Amino acid sequence: MTRRTVSWILVVVVAVSALVIAAVDEGEPQTNSDRAYSLAKDFACPVCQGQSIAESDVPIARTIRRNIRIWVDEGRSEAFIRDELVSIYGEDIDYSPSTDGISALVWVLPIVGGFAAIAGLTIVFRRWQAEAVSEATAADEALVAAARRERNDD
Amino acid sequence: MSNAAIGAGAVALGMACAVVGSIIVVLGLAGRRPRWFAEARTLVFGMMAASVGAFVAMERALITRDFTVAFVAENGSSRTPALFNFATLWSALEGSILLWTLILCGYVVAVVLKFRRQGDDPMVGWAVLTLFIVSGFFFLLMLTVATPFDTFDPQPLADGTPFDGPGPNPLLQNHILMAFHPPVLYLGYVGFTVPFAFAISALVTGRVGEGWLLATRRWTVMAWGLLSLGVVLGAWWSYETLGWGGYWAWDPVENASFLPWLTGTAFLHSVMVQERRGMLRVWNLSLVIATFSLTILGTFITRSGVLQSVHAFSESGIGPAILTFFGLIVVVSLGLIAWRGDELRSPGRIDSPISREGAFLANNVLFAAFAFVVLLGTVFPLIVEAIDGRTISVGNPYFDQMTMPIGFTLLFLMAVAPVLPWRKASGTVLADRLIWPAWMGAGAMVVSLLIGARGWAPTLAFGLGGFAGGAALRQVILASRRQGWRGFVGRTNGGMIVHIGVVLIAVAFAASNAYVRQGEFTLLPGETAEIAGHTLTYEGSTFREYSNRTEWTAAVSVDGGKAYEPGIAVYPFASQTIGIPSVRSTIFDDVALSVLSFPETEEDDVILRATIQPLIVWLWIGGLVMAFGTLLAVIPGKRRHPTSPTSARVPEPDQDPEPVGVDA
Repeated sequence: MTRRTVSWILVVVVAVSALVIAAVDEGEPQTNSDRAYSLAKDFACPVCQGQSIAESDVPIARTIRRNIRIWVDEGRSEAFIRDELVSIYGEDIDYSPSTDGISALVWVLPIVGGFAAIAGLTIVFRRWQAEAVSEATAADEALVAAARRERNDD
Repeated sequence: MSNAAIGAGAVALGMACAVVGSIIVVLGLAGRRPRWFAEARTLVFGMMAASVGAFVAMERALITRDFTVAFVAENGSSRTPALFNFATLWSALEGSILLWTLILCGYVVAVVLKFRRQGDDPMVGWAVLTLFIVSGFFFLLMLTVATPFDTFDPQPLADGTPFDGPGPNPLLQNHILMAFHPPVLYLGYVGFTVPFAFAISALVTGRVGEGWLLATRRWTVMAWGLLSLGVVLGAWWSYETLGWGGYWAWDPVENASFLPWLTGTAFLHSVMVQERRGMLRVWNLSLVIATFSLTILGTFITRSGVLQSVHAFSESGIGPAILTFFGLIVVVSLGLIAWRGDELRSPGRIDSPISREGAFLANNVLFAAFAFVVLLGTVFPLIVEAIDGRTISVGNPYFDQMTMPIGFTLLFLMAVAPVLPWRKASGTVLADRLIWPAWMGAGAMVVSLLIGARGWAPTLAFGLGGFAGGAALRQVILASRRQGWRGFVGRTNGGMIVHIGVVLIAVAFAASNAYVRQGEFTLLPGETAEIAGHTLTYEGSTFREYSNRTEWTAAVSVDGGKAYEPGIAVYPFASQTIGIPSVRSTIFDDVALSVLSFPETEEDDVILRATIQPLIVWLWIGGLVMAFGTLLAVIPGKRRHPTSPTSARVPEPDQDPEPVGVDA
């Protein structure tokens, strides 16, 4: 094994173990306050212009923030909070469109598009690989050699 | 003469210049009278003079508080401080269209001057015609649906005090960045009109070879750099003024500025494949056209009020006008591409996916996917409402989930692509060139673990960031060893500096999102709160009166040091109350403070919100590094040898003798 191979094996081992440690060890637990903040970013302020509950400072956003905090303190699940807010303020409070009906398209279309793009590229590359490769003629080689010589002169 | 009359006259003059200019160029092109369209440039200067005249008239009206101009009566005020009074011009619809037009005319003049020696070339002729038409559209907007110079009759109030306006939106007059963010952003947006004009010209003249790419390459790079800087400045402004601790919220208008950035970035990369290998012509034309039309679509989204956004101005008739223009651009461009379809078919092919051009192709697929996700998420609520009447919202969680895998893949590509040779790479070459960037990535992960960072997503982001940053550093170091100072300039090396800026932003974005801590505290004077290792002490409150507002601020010392003063400002004439956040920044983390509820008396308690996020300051530094890298990239680097196949230019008479600083 060359030194380079050893180096690559080491670097992969280090990176993978770091990633595993980071994923398994949860570190400091999130406080309720942090959890409430991150949830507040997932909901639209019902009366604002394109601001989330976390961003807005209008009274209703404050009320909802307070409610979210109370639910978090009570140990309610994210799904409970989501359902509760949607039933009070309507579907458009949820920044994460539901996967029912037509709104599922917003999730599906990019994935379908991504697969289509990968499939398309694979086909194109296959076709390119299948095409015959033209060999350079002696005249071509001479041209390149001349150009190289000229470049190396300056 | 009154400001309103001067302004209205100037707008009419500009429109006249655009119309007459277009006609002359068309007649010149149709009758093959090159002198005619060369002479049309006089009208470009007329248009420039008109837009400067209109701009000066509006600024003069704002500065002298001339309330006979309706725009000043609606948006100006005698109480607004001088700097924000100047910036009031772009704080509302009509003025921002005026600024857009001024910048556009500036670019048109620059094009005419730059290509003055090729003034009689139909290629330049068609480009100038396109620029005349686009400018004409903006003058037309100012004549019809976004008239900046309507007059107003200011009456004194009942108690005899003279008329005064409400002033601009308070949020737009509380931070100095407001003076820079919109103009820089517009410089970027509008700059893409130039490559668009040359793309149209290449399609019409049939000279779809590489000439137009070379002609507009630096224009595109500069526009892209300014757009990047404008977007970062906007994020910075929102962080400093909105007070919720965030800087990017996937707001429709933020998305509207991000979309052309995405397609523009894709273009900057794929254009190199066309230059080097003559491929992807249709794709590149489509990207230029997409970028320009997305700036127009962005204007529509911002200015029409169809989508809810903090940036949206009042609704007006401008929406249909811009949407029509957008439709026209798309139809004409696609028509031209279809018409030239045969000539656009490229001769080359990509030999191996593991090559520089293969990487650029992957880059483009990812950027296109990114743009698709952002566009879809932005307009999806409109589509759903149109189809089945449901109102839904698409925001943060959607964009975060959908774009995160794309972001990771792009970071990985940023690490691998710069070391890939053209045509084909062998495994050995890759293993040799990537080993120490890979160690930088692994090192970044280990360091982040040691300082206590956890979670797979941010750790992966740090690792890939280190990997990509290492690859960029490697290129710059090797180039500067070989070429001295020239190793820092030119497209490839400047581009690597830009990459380093992007890596800084990606790492800061990942860290600040993953490790944000927020808490709310009710404190009496002298009391202290603890959050994320920081001590906050409420020292007392102050009340101040200014010409345009009254402010209550709370003095809060952070970690026993200097006192920061978050507060609340009341703008009585706009009947609006806004928060004044205060941020302590260090290179490690930011403590952002805002006041949620203010005490009745000095002895009462205050409710404070503190948001602690690591590495925030690196977002802004990253933005500046990107701008600096862009500047380096437009400085000519290594000179191409005339025998190099990549620098062979279409021979044209009377060519601008400036050497082409290509490197790749």
